[in-house]
Parts: sequence; C-alpha cells; structure tokens
Amino acid sequence: MNAAQRHWDEVEEDEPLTPVAFPLTVYRLVMAAGANRDFNAIHHNADYARATGAPDMYANTLLLQGMWERAVRDFIGLAGVIRRQSGFQMRAFNCPGDTVVVKGRVERKWRQGDAAFVELAVWSENASGISVGPGRVVATMPSRQTLVASDEPVPSGRT
Amino acid sequence: MTGGAEMATGDDWKSAWQPMVDAVGREFDHQPVVFCADRIESSAVRRYLEPLEFDCALHDDREVARAHGYDDIVVPTSALPTFAFAPMWRPGEQIFTSAQRDAQPAANAVTGIRTGLEPPTTGYFATNYDVEYLRSATVGDRLARRGARLLACVPKETKVGRGAFLTWESEIVNEQLEVVARLQTTFFRYNPHTAS
Repeated sequence: MNAAQRHWDEVEEDEPLTPVAFPLTVYRLVMAAGANRDFNAIHHNADYARATGAPDMYANTLLLQGMWERAVRDFIGLAGVIRRQSGFQMRAFNCPGDTVVVKGRVERKWRQGDAAFVELAVWSENASGISVGPGRVVATMPSRQTLVASDEPVPSGRT
Repeated sequence: MTGGAEMATGDDWKSAWQPMVDAVGREFDHQPVVFCADRIESSAVRRYLEPLEFDCALHDDREVARAHGYDDIVVPTSALPTFAFAPMWRPGEQIFTSAQRDAQPAANAVTGIRTGLEPPTTGYFATNYDVEYLRSATVGDRLARRGARLLACVPKETKVGRGAFLTWESEIVNEQLEVVARLQTTFFRYNPHTAS
C-alpha cells in the first residue's frame, strides 16, 4: 500500500480511489476459503456450485469484502479507521477466469467534533459489469487542522 | 447439499415462507454467548491477508500497530466474522461421514441461522452486508457472535431458484462483551430451478 499517510484536508470530493485488480483463479478461491473459513462448497467446488444454479464456483463475501477493505485502506492509510460499510450487495457471481476490479470515489467529507470523516462510494466490477455494490464505506482520517488547532495528534487507530 | 424434506412446489412456494414473514422482528438467539474456539493469532491474521495480497502493516507488524494506538496486530474489519465462526470440528465429533465426492460435512460453521419455521431449501448464499464497526479487534482477543433478530423475509424467484431473502441483525462481541461490530446480513435461501 502507499507508504505516505494522506490527511483529510487533502482529500477532495469526487476524487477516485486507485483501482485494485484481483484476478480470480481456483487456487485463489481455495486459499481464500482456507483463510477466511467460509468453506461453503459453492466457493471451492465447481460441480457443487453449478448444481445450485451458479455458473461455476464463486468468490465468497468475506473475500469480496476484503477486496473493498484493501482498496479503502490504500486510500485512508494506516491512521485511517473504517467505521461503517453499507450497500455491500452481491449483484453477480465472481468466478475463476474473471478479474474483479475494486473501484471507488470520495462521495463527501465532513467534520464532526474532532473527527474528520470521509464517505467513499465503492464497487466491484468484473466482465459482466458491477458485481458488488455500489456501496458506501465511512472512515475517519487524520487531519492537519486538528494537529494545528490542538497541538496534539488526532487519536488514530483506536476505535 | 442439505435438506431432504418435502419441498414447496407450484404456487405454494411463497406461502411456505409466511411463518418466516410473520416472524419478522423476532429474536431467535436465546443461547448464552459462546466464544470462538481460539484466541486470535497473528498467523491466522497473516493467512487471511494472503489471498487478498493485502499489504498493510497494521495487520502484520505489532510495532506499527502499537505506534498507531492499538494493543497489538489489528484484525482487518472484513475478517471479524472469520474470527467469530464456531469451530468446524470439536474433539469427539465426526463430521466427515461419507466418501461421496460432494458430500458435505455433518456440521458447518457458515450455514447461517435456521429457525425451524422456514421451508426446506438446499441452496443459500450471502447477498448483502451492512456493518458498523464500533471498536477494533486485535491479536489475543476472543470474539463471539451474539443475537439473531430477523429483520426481513422477502420471498422471491431469482435466476438461480425460488426462495427468500432473509435479513438478520447480530453483533460481534469481545470477551468483555463490548460490541466490536453490528451486522445486518442478508442470505438468499432457495431451491435451485434444477431441483424445484
């Protein structure tokens, strides 16, 4: 991820997130099932998945949420804190042989007390179009204004 | 595949979900909180990152995490349900009881909530997640899932089959019973067209 920490003050509404591509393979889905413990066979067994009406085995929601988190984390940096995710809606199966690309943009930014918030629109695309979302992720980011005003770092990380 | 009981057919399939529709608003989890079998370990967090190629020092470097105000390596928010799943197997249990190629284990931590009011279905998958993250979880924590309030039941026929979208509200809590995350999760439970 980006080494430099961005600050809320530098964020602009409508600014895009850097897209992150996730090529999907059987190997990757099996690794994901082992790592996130969602062993539902629809996510690692093509025959089983097809019997349930899907075209192939497909990525589980934990993997797909993790993709969103990686893209969001790239944007908010280590000092950012993810507060809420909404509108994470599965619209199409994400199967091996396809590439999921997570995209997003800054919907709005605001301050509430000492906290500086951003709301990001986030979605996943594959060959069929938008496959997940579009949803919203709300996060807090460090602000230079607060640093100047209080002369103390914004509490970061701890939620 | 699960199920085996007689399935609703013809025009009955929607009315078969009526008991669930009538149960909207009801809390179905009346059990004591049962924590995940393991404390969260750094190796489990690291393995979670691998298929995502998720390079974030908060999740794999204790010193960086502490420098940002956390007690230890931070669990990714998307991984919180993973660390609240019940174990797949417990000592004394036998979950693999068939050598049939696609046989499913006798127990599965991710089958979702069953109330006994829903008609038999053989397929399910998660469709929606709304989550509010209230506090972080770190290596060393133990988590549990608490609550199962039915928020919605919407019978629907989709391209994969007939069933219902069921929305549940639950929480992930830590050992101090502090709420780490509040979740609304929707599952589509259905019978595939090929089987219905």
